[in-house]
Amino acid sequence: MAKATPLNSFLDQAGSLSKFSFRFLWQWFKPRYEGSEFLRQCYVIGYNSLPLIGLTGFIMGLVLTMQLRPSMIEYGVESQLPAIVGISVVREIGPVITALIFAGKIGSSIGAELGSMKVTEQIDAMQVSGTNPFKYLVVSRVLAATLMLPILVILSDAISLYGSYIGVNIRGNTSFNLFWTQVFDNLAFYDVLPAFIKTFFFGFAVGIIGCFKGYNSNKGTEGVGRSANSAVVVSSIMIFILDLLAVQITDVLGFN
Amino acid sequence: MNNVKLGAFVLAGLFCLILLLYMIGKNRNMFGSNFILKSRFENVQGLKQGNNVRYAGIDVGTVKKVTIINDTLMEVIMIIDNKMKTVIHKNALVSIATDGLVGNKVVNISAVKQLAPLAQNGDILASKRPLDTDEMLKKLNNTNNDIGSVAEELKYTIQRINNSNALWSVLNEKGLPQNLKLSAINIRQATARAKDMANDLYAIVNDVKMGKGSIGSILTDTSFAYNLNEAVVKIKSVGDEADSLSRQISDAVSGIQRDVDSGKGTIHSLLKDSLLVIKLNKSLDNIQQGTDGFNQNMEALKHNFLFRGYFRRLEKQKIGIKKDQ
Repeated sequence: MAKATPLNSFLDQAGSLSKFSFRFLWQWFKPRYEGSEFLRQCYVIGYNSLPLIGLTGFIMGLVLTMQLRPSMIEYGVESQLPAIVGISVVREIGPVITALIFAGKIGSSIGAELGSMKVTEQIDAMQVSGTNPFKYLVVSRVLAATLMLPILVILSDAISLYGSYIGVNIRGNTSFNLFWTQVFDNLAFYDVLPAFIKTFFFGFAVGIIGCFKGYNSNKGTEGVGRSANSAVVVSSIMIFILDLLAVQITDVLGFN
Repeated sequence: MNNVKLGAFVLAGLFCLILLLYMIGKNRNMFGSNFILKSRFENVQGLKQGNNVRYAGIDVGTVKKVTIINDTLMEVIMIIDNKMKTVIHKNALVSIATDGLVGNKVVNISAVKQLAPLAQNGDILASKRPLDTDEMLKKLNNTNNDIGSVAEELKYTIQRINNSNALWSVLNEKGLPQNLKLSAINIRQATARAKDMANDLYAIVNDVKMGKGSIGSILTDTSFAYNLNEAVVKIKSVGDEADSLSRQISDAVSGIQRDVDSGKGTIHSLLKDSLLVIKLNKSLDNIQQGTDGFNQNMEALKHNFLFRGYFRRLEKQKIGIKKDQ
């Protein structure tokens, strides 16, 4: 092993994470699927996150609308408020904010859960008892995170836009129908689809990084805290990096 | 129970996604039945795929494609809602406009009053030259300049009015309203008189119509008209006679003229014979000489003794008359 410089440890982490991801893919395709565990994780990861994400989404839409209003009035395009909030929420703010909240809630819980299982040697015990711990713990969680985040983002977008509708009507007067007509009139498939597709990657990143940090946890109870913490930090950074990649890819493909 | 909640959660998410996609697709006319209309422009002014197509201000479709036919002609292919098949006619005009002042481009289809069959799938509609903002601004600039010069002139005029003492003195004149009032009263009286006069005239005209008075009789009496007619006939016959008379005179004059011209008659010899003039001159000279001789004779006679006494007496008488005076 090379010296433990920051660069080396970073590269080491990146390599290990890549290996972990390939292992996930390999295990995912192998039979003996843990269906009930997957559904349980979906419930925990998806459904239980909805209140938190709904609340943040609602506040985000409301605040964004109220913050944008003065500038829109300055440019004399107050009537375009639904359109601009719709575009910004659907394209960027909805996916990113939701993914960050998701990383904070799910990434940390996965990291802590797997980390504590690791340090209390439950994972080893599982292996001894004949269950594939990777399949049971990692694959189900990563898959659930990957599939649940897009749904959460869609619902968050809807709640966000409802919040925006309320925000528009605090000062102005726009009917419900007109608001939604204006939002949908200014959205195109190339607004929605790239934003929707990137949320799968966000979810996968949150799940895989949480599992990786937890699965490779050590140094006892202290290590559990550290893996939970670094799971949130790394997955949050990862979300932004993926967002950067996504916008460049859509730009190159001409969907922007 | 957890599975039920999870199912509800997932279905809600999928429902929202599908709704979102459906609403967007509906706006792009991806569902439902459509037909295609085309139009050709010199300049599409940045029209893009997906821009709205409006008929009389209602969104009826979207732009499917903008293609280049050749270097000066672009073709806009539009997807139109099938419902509009019974509304849009073949002679409808297509134009490109801007949604608001700085908004997206839109295609406007507008109806023309003349009758024409309904448009079919794939028809090419006539296009109107798009309103060019640059051109508009240029024109506006010209208008602004004009307005500027007009304002300048107006300013000058106002300044002159302001500086004009005469106008202000007229405006400041206290008696002016009184005078104006008086004038108005005068005008009113004048118009009242004019009205009376008009009434009188009306009455006269009425009388004339009724045949009263001399004009009336002139205008209405039929025998008078007959007499007048006769008089006119007579005047005409007199005129005819005068005419024949003048013709005769003319004949006579022309006869004389002819004589003169052809060298016959006395007048001709008087007017045209140059020898006669010389003879006449000579005769007049002879007469002159004759009378001179006669004068000498008479002078000689005065001094003759036989007549001398008579002349002396005559002189004495003359002197006496002068003394008496």
